[in-house]
Amino acid sequence: MIVELSFGVAAAVMLAFMCVSVLRLAIGPTAADRAVALDTINTLVVTTMVLLGVAFGQVVLVDVAIVYALLSFIATLYIARYLAGGLE
Amino acid sequence: MTLWGVLQVLTLVLIVAGAALAVWLKDLLAAVIALAASSLLLSLEFYLLQAPDVAIAEAGIGAALTTAIYILAIRKTRRKEEE
Repeated sequence: MIVELSFGVAAAVMLAFMCVSVLRLAIGPTAADRAVALDTINTLVVTTMVLLGVAFGQVVLVDVAIVYALLSFIATLYIARYLAGGLE
Repeated sequence: MTLWGVLQVLTLVLIVAGAALAVWLKDLLAAVIALAASSLLLSLEFYLLQAPDVAIAEAGIGAALTTAIYILAIRKTRRKEEE
């Protein structure tokens, strides 16, 4: 009980960090700032998924976090290629 | 309200904030980035509702496919929205 509660509190702290990153996504002057904010949100979401997988006590939920980390990397890669003038 | 209720309310507030940013921003690339963030947080909400298969589908379509298609479309057209 106390273990899953502590991991849940850690997930809530990660969501508070995500609020700050969304603020940067709102006020970021350039598109590169917003891309970095999106990547930060991605990493925090993966962290939250792993923490909640521990809190729920199911190993299969960690697999979702692994797939998610892979796919969010692809999205960030597309944005970075566009900002660098690629995507021929 | 339990701790899981607090987590769900925080996630839903962030989803709505990302969707409002996607409508409000005039730079279309920034709007696509806000839409991607909203979609990623929607995937987290599915995860919180104990539906990991839906969360995987949402992450694959929302994060990878939609962002890539929108950015290809922006590259072929204009980046700034006209007033």
